[in-house]
Amino acid sequence: MIRAIARRAGSGLAVLWAAATAAYLALLAAPGDTVDSIIGDGADSPQIRAQIIAEWNLDRPAIVQYLDYLWRAAQGDLGRSYLLQRPVRDVIGDQLAPTLRLAVAAAVFGVVLALILAVVTRGRWARRASSTAELVLVSTPPFLIGIVLLSVFSFRFGMFPVSGDRGWAALVLPAVTLGLPIAGVLAQVLRDGLDRALDEPFAVTARARGLTERSVLIRHGLRHSLLPAVTLLGWLSGVLIGGSVIIEQVFGRPGLGQVTLQAVSSSDMPVVLAVVVLAAAFFVVINTAADLAYLLIDPRLRRS
Amino acid sequence: MRRTRPAAVLAVAALALTTACSPGSSAAPGAGQPVSGGSLTWAVETEPITFNPHQYAQAKARLLVWNTFEALLTHDDRGGYLPWLATGYEASPDGKTYTFRLRTDVSFTDGTKFDAAAVKANVDQFAVEGYNPAVQAVQLRNLDRVEVVDPATVAVHLKQPDVLILDFLSSPQGAQVSPKSLSQAKNLKAGGPELAGTGPFILDRYTAGQEVHFTKNPAYQWAPANAGHTGPAYLDEITYRFLKESSVRVGALTSGQVQVIEGVPATDEALITGNDQLTFARGLNSGSAYSYYFNIAHAPFDDIRVRQAFREAVDVDAVLQGVYRGSATRAWSVIGPTSPFYDRSLEKTYSGDTAGANRLLDEAGWTTRDADGFRTKDGKRLTVRLVQSAPFVRDRRDVLAQAVQAAVKQSAGIDLNVALVDQGTATQALTDGAYEVFDNSRADTDAGAALNLLLHSAGAINRTGVKDPELDRLLEEGQASGDQAARNGTYQRVQRLTVTDQALILPLYAPADQVAAAVTVGGLGFEPTAGVPGRAYDLWLGK
Repeated sequence: MIRAIARRAGSGLAVLWAAATAAYLALLAAPGDTVDSIIGDGADSPQIRAQIIAEWNLDRPAIVQYLDYLWRAAQGDLGRSYLLQRPVRDVIGDQLAPTLRLAVAAAVFGVVLALILAVVTRGRWARRASSTAELVLVSTPPFLIGIVLLSVFSFRFGMFPVSGDRGWAALVLPAVTLGLPIAGVLAQVLRDGLDRALDEPFAVTARARGLTERSVLIRHGLRHSLLPAVTLLGWLSGVLIGGSVIIEQVFGRPGLGQVTLQAVSSSDMPVVLAVVVLAAAFFVVINTAADLAYLLIDPRLRRS
Repeated sequence: MRRTRPAAVLAVAALALTTACSPGSSAAPGAGQPVSGGSLTWAVETEPITFNPHQYAQAKARLLVWNTFEALLTHDDRGGYLPWLATGYEASPDGKTYTFRLRTDVSFTDGTKFDAAAVKANVDQFAVEGYNPAVQAVQLRNLDRVEVVDPATVAVHLKQPDVLILDFLSSPQGAQVSPKSLSQAKNLKAGGPELAGTGPFILDRYTAGQEVHFTKNPAYQWAPANAGHTGPAYLDEITYRFLKESSVRVGALTSGQVQVIEGVPATDEALITGNDQLTFARGLNSGSAYSYYFNIAHAPFDDIRVRQAFREAVDVDAVLQGVYRGSATRAWSVIGPTSPFYDRSLEKTYSGDTAGANRLLDEAGWTTRDADGFRTKDGKRLTVRLVQSAPFVRDRRDVLAQAVQAAVKQSAGIDLNVALVDQGTATQALTDGAYEVFDNSRADTDAGAALNLLLHSAGAINRTGVKDPELDRLLEEGQASGDQAARNGTYQRVQRLTVTDQALILPLYAPADQVAAAVTVGGLGFEPTAGVPGRAYDLWLGK
C-alpha cells in the first residue's frame, strides 16, 4: 500500500516536472522576448532594456534560469511576476479560491444534471430530444451560452448578479455555463453505458429476481455506466481549466483564467510556470481520484 | 519670467468651470442638485496592471489613479496648467529651473504631511534602479535634481530647458505618493491599499479580476479650481467592477446592477441614447490621433508617391462610417483635434482621390496588375504589411484595418496585408522591420510628448524610420519653449511636414471615451485636456 502511494507520488512529481519543463521550453520558443513584453507599449531604449534585464536576471543563460527556477520552486518560492510586480504566490493565491469554487460548482452541476438526464430520458422521444439538446450544448461556445444566460436571467429578470465572486447567487450562472457542456457529454456517455448495461445478462438476472425496472436501472445499470464516465474525469478537468478563462472574462469574475491569459500573452514566465504546475497538479489529483473511484464503483478491482 | 498670478488663475478656473462641463457632459436631468452620501458602482473595461501612479501606463487607468493620488498641477481645458497641490510655479528666464510653491494644508491619507521633501522623495524615487526605467529615460531625461528650498517651496533643476516637465508633474507618473508608502510598501510597484495619496478617496479594497473599492477621504479640502465643488467628495464610497465584455457592461447598466459604465461600443450607443433612464457622453482623447505610420526605410513606402497614393486610396470617412456607424471623429492630423496644437488648416486637404492615387502609382512604376487585380512592378506585387498586436487592439481596430484593406485594394490595387498576432510576434516584426504600416495612438496630455516618441529620429517608437534634422530641430524647439504661442507655431510646422509634405502618416480617427450612466448619477465628466473620464470626486447619486 505504502509502495503504491510512493509510486503514485513519484509519478505525480514527474508529471509536474515535465509540465514545468514543457511550459518553459514553449515560452522560450515563442517569438519576441521577455524584455519586449515587460516594456509593452511603452518607451523603449537600450538603457531601459539593460535595467529590465538586470532587474529580472534575464541575461543569464536559459538553462541557468531554468535550473534556478526549479530549485526555488522546489523550496516553495515561485518568484515574482514580471508584469504585475508581485510575488507569484500572492497572485495565484488570491485567485485560486474563486476558480476552485467555480470549477467544483460547475462539475457538481454538470455531473448531477447528466445523471438526471441519463436516467429520466429513457423513453424514445425524451431520449431523442435530450440527445439533440446535449449535442447543441456541447457544440455551442461557452462564451455564447454565458451571454445568453446573462441576458435572460441577469439583465432581463434580474435573478442573479452579473459580476464577481460575491456569494452563491453570483456563482449560479457561471457554474451553469461551464457545467452545461460537461453535462452534455457526460449524459451521452452515461446513457450509452446504461443501454449496454441493461442488455447484459446480470440485468436480466436482476429482473428475474423481481427487482423493479427502476432499481435495476439505479443499482445495477448506473454503476456499470459510471465507469466510462469516470474515465472522462481527466477530460473534465481540462474543460474546467480551459473554460474558466472564458467564463471569468464574460462574468467579470476573479480567478486563475484571467491571470493565465494575461501572463501567457505577456510572457510573464514565473506566473505561467506556476499556473502550469498547478494545472498539472490538478490533473494528477483528478486522475488519482478517478482511480480511487474505480475501486469504489467496481468491487472486482478491489479484490485484485 | 512666467508667473501664475492668482487673479489670472481664478479667471481661467471660472472659465474652466463653465466650459469644461459643456459638451455632452452636462448634469443629467434626473440627478438634480448635488447630494452627499451614497455608494456607486461603475463598470470599467480595463483592469489596471498596477495602482501605483508612478508605474501608470494605461490611459484607461487614469480615472482610478486620480481618485487616490494628485499631482502638483492639473490641466485646464485648453492645455494650460492650473494649480493643484502646488499653488503656482515660476520658470527661470533660462527655462532650466521651475520653482513650485506648495499648499501647506495637505496631508496624505496615512497622516504624513505633504511638503517639499515629499515632492523630492517622489521624483527621486524614479532614480531607484529598476523602479521605472521608461519614465527615467523619457519624461525625466532632462532632470538634473530636485531641491527643497523650504518646506513649502521646491525647485526642479533641469539640464536643459524642457517644458514637458510641467506635463510630467501634472501626469499620473508625477503624482504624489506618501513618502512613507514609498519606503515601506511591500508591493510598491503593484500599488493598492498600501499606498497612500492625497486624493478625495482612499483605495481600501482590491480583488484582482473583480473590483476595486474606494471610500471617501473625509479630510479632503484641496480640490483644484476647475473641480465641480470643494470639500470632501459627495459619494461615501465607489466600487469599480472590471467587466471586460462590452455587452455585459451594457447589460449590467440597463438592468440597474451598475450605475455607470465606460467603453460603450458603437453598436450599443443607440440602445443607450434611446433609453430615457440613461445618459450618454463622449469625450475625445488628447494626444495623438489613431494613425497609420508608413515605414519609409524600404520599398515601397520609401517612394513618397506610393505613400501619397495609399493615403488617397482610402476614403477615410466612408471607412469610418462603415465600421463605427458615424460614432467616430475623423482625424486630419497626427495630433488629436482637441489639442491646442491641432492644425485645423490640414482638414480636407487630402484623401479620397482615387484617380490621383492611381496616377501616382502609375508614375511610381507600379503599372502592371496581377491575376488578383493587385498592382505589380517587375513581377512583384504592391504589398504592404500591417502587424497588429492583439493585446493592444481596441475600438475594433482590427475590423477597421480590414475595411482599409478592402478600400485600397478596390480603389488602387494595393495589397494591405493585415496580421493580428500576439505581442511577441508583433514586437519581433517591428524589430526586424518586417512591416510597412504601423498603427498607433497615444493618450499623452501634451501632444508634444507623443510626437517626440513617434517622430524624432531618436524617438523610442519612431516606426516610420524618418530621420529628418529639420523635424528633430522643430520637436526639440517645441519641447524647450515655454511660450505657448511659439509652441503652437512649431507643432503646426511639424504637422504640415509629416502629414501633408512628407505623407508619413495617415490619420484615421480621434480616439474617444464614452460614458453611459443612469439619469440619477450627477457630475459625470471628462478630464480637461486628457478627454478621458474624470475621477469620481464630483459624482453624486440623486434620489
